[in-house]
Amino acid sequence: MPESYPREHIEDLVDDNLEWNQLHDMMSDFKDADRFQQVRDVLQERVDWDDPIIIPYADHLYVVAKPDNRWVIKCDCGHEFCEHDENWKMDALINVRDSEEAYLEIYPEDMHPHPDYMELREFFCPGCNTLLEVTNVMPGYPLIHEFEPDIETFYSEWIEEPIPTAEPESA
Amino acid sequence: MASSEDDPTTQHDAQILSIDAGGTMTDTFLMDSNGEFTVGKAKTTPDDESRGFIKSSQDALEDWDLSVEEGFPDLVSTVYSGTAMLNRLVERESEVDVGILITGGMEDTLRMGRGRQSYTGYSYSDRLHVNTHKHPEPLIPRNRIRGVRERIDVKGNTLVPLYEDDVRDGVNDLLDQGVDHIVVMFLHSYKNGEHEHRTAEIAREIIDERGAETSVMLSSEYYPTLKESERLNTVTAEAFAAEPSRDQLSNIQEAVDEQGGNVGVRVMASHGGTIDINANELARTLISGPIGGMIGANYFGQKLDYNNLVCTDIGGTSFDMGIIIDNDWQIDYSPEMARLLLSLPMVNMESVGAGTGSYVRVNPTFDKIELGPESAGDQVGVSAVETDVETVTVTDCHVAMGWINPENFLGGDMPIDREVAEQEIKEQIADPLDMGVYEAAQGVIDILESKLRNDLEAVVTGEGYAPSNFKCLSYGGGGPVHTAGYTKDLGFDEVLIPEWAAGFSAFGCGAADYEYRYDQTTSIDIDPDLSMEEAAATAGEALTEVWTNLEQKVENEFENSNIGRDEIEFQYNILGQYQGQLNSIDIESPVGRVDSPEKLEQLLDTFEEGYRRQYSEEARSPELGHTITQASVRGVRDVVKPEIPTEELQGPEPPADAYKETREAYWDGEWLDTEIYDLHALQPGNELSGPAVLEGAATTYALPPDCETWLDEHRVHHLTTTE
Repeated sequence: MPESYPREHIEDLVDDNLEWNQLHDMMSDFKDADRFQQVRDVLQERVDWDDPIIIPYADHLYVVAKPDNRWVIKCDCGHEFCEHDENWKMDALINVRDSEEAYLEIYPEDMHPHPDYMELREFFCPGCNTLLEVTNVMPGYPLIHEFEPDIETFYSEWIEEPIPTAEPESA
Repeated sequence: MASSEDDPTTQHDAQILSIDAGGTMTDTFLMDSNGEFTVGKAKTTPDDESRGFIKSSQDALEDWDLSVEEGFPDLVSTVYSGTAMLNRLVERESEVDVGILITGGMEDTLRMGRGRQSYTGYSYSDRLHVNTHKHPEPLIPRNRIRGVRERIDVKGNTLVPLYEDDVRDGVNDLLDQGVDHIVVMFLHSYKNGEHEHRTAEIAREIIDERGAETSVMLSSEYYPTLKESERLNTVTAEAFAAEPSRDQLSNIQEAVDEQGGNVGVRVMASHGGTIDINANELARTLISGPIGGMIGANYFGQKLDYNNLVCTDIGGTSFDMGIIIDNDWQIDYSPEMARLLLSLPMVNMESVGAGTGSYVRVNPTFDKIELGPESAGDQVGVSAVETDVETVTVTDCHVAMGWINPENFLGGDMPIDREVAEQEIKEQIADPLDMGVYEAAQGVIDILESKLRNDLEAVVTGEGYAPSNFKCLSYGGGGPVHTAGYTKDLGFDEVLIPEWAAGFSAFGCGAADYEYRYDQTTSIDIDPDLSMEEAAATAGEALTEVWTNLEQKVENEFENSNIGRDEIEFQYNILGQYQGQLNSIDIESPVGRVDSPEKLEQLLDTFEEGYRRQYSEEARSPELGHTITQASVRGVRDVVKPEIPTEELQGPEPPADAYKETREAYWDGEWLDTEIYDLHALQPGNELSGPAVLEGAATTYALPPDCETWLDEHRVHHLTTTE
């Protein structure tokens, strides 16, 4: 096991450019000690804004540090949703497929759930209109809050590093 | 190179030559008419394997001061096993293009495979976790697979006739793509091959018309067994991986002929016998497992009257275990090779990824020593200073503990530095865990041996057997150093270590029968309300017919090598079950025909006895009737086999020249003066008690303080624990 993979290897990992055997080896082996920080660095370099990424939150979404000691969920287009412990879906654009007609736009006939039993909710970023998440739930079910990261514990006990902070805003 | 004795002036006649062409090295095992052996090595030459074959033979013959021209004319048996075929499967690359005609609607069978194929062949933890599962690359791309409308049901009835136009379109399309072989696999063709045969006729007409050189292979002819995914994999492997090796094998035969050899080269096959290079079914020589040792163990058991054996083989990368009961091994009918499930009969072995070369690492998350699954293999470890291994291995721990003599590793061919071993164990294992070097090394050995002990116990008791009914046979280069550890407290009847443990697998290849084996799936019911006369006239006739057909196939294979029927000894097997059961048991039939009531009764009695032995008297349920799910025929022709040495017993005291020195070694937490002996200089009848280390040319036999060993007249060590 390498203690640390070369930067290019981690970039290929983020871009899903690794061969299966390379990926398989990485998964089977003990985890490289600096994997989180390396992945974080690669992601940070790829976004157009400067708020330091604290953790990757979901595809396209990050928890970032803001100057006033706030941690917010931010899309890679720059759109900011909410505090890290709130449900970003409340602020997303939502398309609900709850009819036969709406289902048939994306499913072959007779291959989709019955609209009375299940609806599809598609969540888009208001900043860039990227499809960020899809959930399938019973009609009337509350918005699922999937992930409430325990950032303090993660940094202090798992990777034993200080939590990134933003530069104080210049006046 | 290692050899069984040191005096090169003795005259030798090289009788048995067994060659194993691995990925990097070609190993030779040579035995003379007195049972003395020597081994040789040369680089494998993938372009023309016959060059590596000759060089490796030369290397072995040199030990006896013979050239190839001098040695080869004496040969009476030559067994070759290569890895080229397996490599084509592993790499998914072949010199030939294969097209497939398959029942319409089933075109994606190869691509979908089976769930098990997504993790088969992976390490235990990778099998457990879904994210490390992945379906293997199919052997044949989708555009070379064409569907043909037809359908035969599970009972062999035609539900949809063969659409012959589909066959013509498919064949023409595949020929346009320039395929070398067309494989035909229709559903349930093992039961009724008519559609496949008609397809072959049409295909051959078209091939003739177009003047192509393409061959047609039918799954109903090659591997007529249940389960289309396995059957398709196997026929495809035959075309894709095995057929291209025919030329290589012919080259090897030519090389033998040119050097004055007067012997047909045979190839080791998965069913445990050797077959001619001209055999119709070559895919069964695609062996990935170390079955040579099992064959050797069975031969050893037959010769020395040990009926029940548990075979254990430790090499650099794996620990392999197999069971022999009443001098026969068990067969796995669906083994995995190159991550594909095949439908070939293969000698059953369990394998775990732990060997002497296994890497030892401290898991950073749990501060715990972990072994493997990767290993340094034949690179030994960090202490082997000429290699570039960086991670500590099990062997390094043995070196540090003084069990292995650095001067004597592989007879001194591999330089070992004990200080490097100690230093690396300290840095990589002992310091992170805050332990002493030797304590850590001991810990590694304990973990390995308790793992092996658990696996071994699971293999024996998991099958419902008691270790006390078995003798445990230990071989492989790394076996004897661990034997005492992994057999401890398991309660085997006896623990046996042949002195030629390191060469035991090659010895086994030399001991393999010349044997063809054919299997066919059947569904022959013997209903309980039938009289024996009625059953014989129906089911008995049906089984007899299947056996007769299989017998004919075996006969045809031998005919390829000009061996007549009178020289073949046939054996008949079935897989049988009570009607409605899911699993069948393997039964060797006492008779080769069951078309009379007496003979059928003999077969059924044998089944009942086998069922009683495997399960219990109470579990027998003859009132349900029986089903025969598979019929097999094995044909064996006598070949010359290696001699097992027999010498006169001497006294219990080892001869003076067997004693080498006394050095300190670390046993269970303390340094003890340990007597070192030359394994090959001990005499039959000698008794030794631990702590002692017996050093051989290619193996080290460690005898811990509470153990004793005595050498019998066949140069086999019997290991016992003192109370």
